[in-house]
Amino acid sequence: MRDVAIIGVGMIPFGRRDQDSLVDMLAYASLKALDDAQLGDKAVDAVYVANMGGGILQHQTAIASALVDRLSLLPAAADTVENGPASGASAVKNGVLAVASGYYDVVLVAGGEKMREVSGWRATDFVATLTHPEVEYPYGITLPGMAGMFTRLYMEKYGLTREMLTAVAIKNQTVGTLNPYAHVTMAITKEGILESPHSVVNNPIIADPLHLYDACPISDGAAAVLLCPLEMAKKLTKHTPVVIAGFGQATDTHTLQEREDPTDLKAVTLAAQQAFTMAGIGPEDIDVAELHDAFTILEVAESEHVGFFKKGEGGKAALAGRTKLGGEIPINVSGGLKARGHPVGATGVAQVVDITWQLRHELPEGRQVLGATYGLTVNFGGFGNNVLSLILKRSA
Amino acid sequence: MSEIKITGYKCKACGRVHYPKHEQCLTCKGRDFEPLTPDGNARLLAYTQIFNLPWGFDERFLIIGVGEFENGIKAMGQIKADSLDKIKTGMELKPSWEPVRHQYGEPVYGLKFKPLE
Ligand SMILES: [Zn+2]
Repeated sequence: MRDVAIIGVGMIPFGRRDQDSLVDMLAYASLKALDDAQLGDKAVDAVYVANMGGGILQHQTAIASALVDRLSLLPAAADTVENGPASGASAVKNGVLAVASGYYDVVLVAGGEKMREVSGWRATDFVATLTHPEVEYPYGITLPGMAGMFTRLYMEKYGLTREMLTAVAIKNQTVGTLNPYAHVTMAITKEGILESPHSVVNNPIIADPLHLYDACPISDGAAAVLLCPLEMAKKLTKHTPVVIAGFGQATDTHTLQEREDPTDLKAVTLAAQQAFTMAGIGPEDIDVAELHDAFTILEVAESEHVGFFKKGEGGKAALAGRTKLGGEIPINVSGGLKARGHPVGATGVAQVVDITWQLRHELPEGRQVLGATYGLTVNFGGFGNNVLSLILKRSA
Repeated sequence: MSEIKITGYKCKACGRVHYPKHEQCLTCKGRDFEPLTPDGNARLLAYTQIFNLPWGFDERFLIIGVGEFENGIKAMGQIKADSLDKIKTGMELKPSWEPVRHQYGEPVYGLKFKPLE
């Protein structure tokens, strides 16, 4: 297996992008990654596109074929990867395998989603199609609903509090104000969303016990990365190469109810363990992490399941500021899904873009984790039934 | 009231109860199952009240939970309550089989739970 480097990254601002089609967004992010890489006359051999909802939301399929044509990268191989909200990291993993195997040299991975052109209740229904079609979906359960049930179980088992979840929301939206790619750029206060009499109006319950500010927004957006063998990257790029040091992926039961302990996100633990084993490091070696905080509870639970904190300690750690920039393990210094937004197919790729910027030491003060060498991502599909973790390393 | 049209699957090799159906046992990969129908009342394992409903629902909110029947089947259903005030994890629920939503003008039947005091 060859070492695989990221030689180019690109992202477009997430948010509401009425003027752009799904393929427009994928193309713009891809061009940024191609320009960033300064490929010269090297051809792109293959393209992997992460997208969950084109068939449902845009009535468009075969998105990778459309993108490779739009970019005139013909006759490059092109595949669309649909793995729910974990499509992004799945596409990156497939790109890494393709380069590591020696079969392809230059691979473009682009992830994108366009969710704002339908109403909120259509978008909520679209995401709910990942639930079990017979024993969950008919009841009207949504992803916020799954997260709400999970949150209550966590509160009952570990004493997690709303104050701890609120600390995650405030942290991510505060740093999100510094991210030019973030959808949500409004800072929030504990008073406004938890303590004042107005907080019940400002921050209503969406899926008890989760409130509005525990959830990410519904967004449009796209992100892209360009992969090649490390040896080629050293010759081609002006950037310090960032390598994929490890990856892992694991699955769990489709329904939460069939898990022996529904608070145990086994797929997160296994994916991270595989990535750590491959990279030859442990959780204590990670300098910065992008965790899949579609809901604040997920950042807390993932921070425990990947091994940064013991089970039940993640909420306390967030409340104590241990996961802020400057803390012992800065989490979601991009603002996470909470502030950057969660165009589902784009998210796993956007996490890799943000970690690459961190490891190149390219971010401005207030966002850069000084001297970062290792970064970790978690891209959480289903309600924890298909999870990927990637570990990136700044190449010396 | 219609009968509850849920079938659980108990592995004949190790006894694990599955719902929904799997072709192989989650524990031992066994392929022989004894069909089970829900037995008696259920106990509430997890619940939420959701306000942002998906396309297809006209209600202001839904209360949804997972109940465990006495013979080990665990299933999601809608909880018949006006609020979460009297809902508690571990409480007893009386199951019924009723319309849970409408699709293309037709009722879709599913599990409902009535909380018992
Ligand atoms: Zn068995």
